Amino acid sequence: MTDKTNDPVAMWQKMMGEMEKGFNSFANQTMSSPEFSQVVNRAGGVAAGAQKQLGELMEKYLVTMNLPSREQVTGLAERLQSVEAQIGEIKSMLSRMAAGSGSPQGVDAVPRPPRTRRPPSDGDQT
Amino acid sequence: MNAPTGLDFASIPERIQSEVQRAIQRSIKGVEYFSTSGPSLGSTPKDVLHSRGTMSLYHYRPMSDEIYRVPVLIVMATTNRGYILDLVPGQSFIEFLLKRGYDVYMLDWSAPRPEEKSLRMEDYVLDFIPDCVRRVQADSGEQDVSVIGYCFGGVLSLLYGAIHKDGPMKNLICFTTPIDFREMKLFSNFSDRRYFDVDRLVDSVGNVPPEMILSSFEMLRPASRTVSQLQLWENIWNDEFVKSYRMFDRWATDTLPLAGEYFRTITKDLMWDNKLFNDTMSVGGRAAKLQDIKVPFLHAVAEHDHIVPYEAAKHLIAKIGSADKEEVMLKGGHVSLVAGANAVKRLWPKLDSWLGKRST
Repeated sequence: MTDKTNDPVAMWQKMMGEMEKGFNSFANQTMSSPEFSQVVNRAGGVAAGAQKQLGELMEKYLVTMNLPSREQVTGLAERLQSVEAQIGEIKSMLSRMAAGSGSPQGVDAVPRPPRTRRPPSDGDQT
Repeated sequence: MNAPTGLDFASIPERIQSEVQRAIQRSIKGVEYFSTSGPSLGSTPKDVLHSRGTMSLYHYRPMSDEIYRVPVLIVMATTNRGYILDLVPGQSFIEFLLKRGYDVYMLDWSAPRPEEKSLRMEDYVLDFIPDCVRRVQADSGEQDVSVIGYCFGGVLSLLYGAIHKDGPMKNLICFTTPIDFREMKLFSNFSDRRYFDVDRLVDSVGNVPPEMILSSFEMLRPASRTVSQLQLWENIWNDEFVKSYRMFDRWATDTLPLAGEYFRTITKDLMWDNKLFNDTMSVGGRAAKLQDIKVPFLHAVAEHDHIVPYEAAKHLIAKIGSADKEEVMLKGGHVSLVAGANAVKRLWPKLDSWLGKRST
């Protein structure tokens, strides 16, 4: 059996593990500084502003090209979802009616197991 | 026989042969990796009980002949998908619960649509969760419901439980749930109120993009992604390793956007003012004090959690008002606590033994 301390693969793995820990620790220290927060948030603020402007530009472009805007597409999606939800409700109601009782049996209308389970006593593995 | 250096010369040819075989396997499996999709996740049979915008309520089909009286509602974190708790057969927390006789429901989230940017904390705590609890009651025919919250799903469950102190929650279990947000040091620094203009961000982008959420998680351990990719290449001959890597990598990168107003509240009330810890939190004008939670309570925390460090979670157990309460610290990280091979041996049996006797 190869000695782990001299196994090149094990040594490589150990080195990678140590490097990962060291780099993460160093990066965490750097990122804990207020200066880091200031720089990152300044960059983030610029990116968010640019994203907003790009969005507005795209809206204008879509109108020019006579294409539906995002608002119109999401309006359609919302209506579609509302229809889907209603179909789900109807399906659920039909399943209950098919089960022939008002008792709660869930949308699958398959009889559920009885709610009689007791916890196993200590030492019982079931 | 070992040389004085400890190097076993006799094993060198064997070792070279093994490494050459692995190199060949790496090339073959590497092609396979890119030409196939990963394992199918979240495939435990379930029914969608209700779906409304970002919210979905699932009911999993029972897998035992007899189930406990009290159903279980799992509240997933709003940043990630619920299939982390239902990876593949044998490594699925949901499947484990079903086989142990629990009636399991899950409140899971999908990406909020642009028009859902106005969803507030109130919508999550005073509408989505109570709505799901009512539907679980109606579907199961039981008044009592046990709630399990994972990570920020735990925070939402705590807020729900603190406000709805007269029930119907029967037991509350939180996994890796932070309450002292000052102790989430890096997140706290990223959102430093002197430099982070949350209003400008939310007003500009609407919903907070998933890339931003993902990069803030990855920045906690910036070297880990590169190292894990190297480890993947090194172990690509090993089918089990690759399967596990693909499952967790897919889930970790499948981050959800956060509704803008909701994110604004999280930042201001929790990250900046630490209101949950300071007992000054309110949702929709209703006070949410942890001491008002009186039901049996279990908090599971991970020893090596880099997302929710123990310091951010440790005061929860003292602040909860329950007489019957327990904190358990287990080996593992933020995700490996709840999913994967180690969770099978550690957290799941512990949860079963705690919850079973409180579910009759």
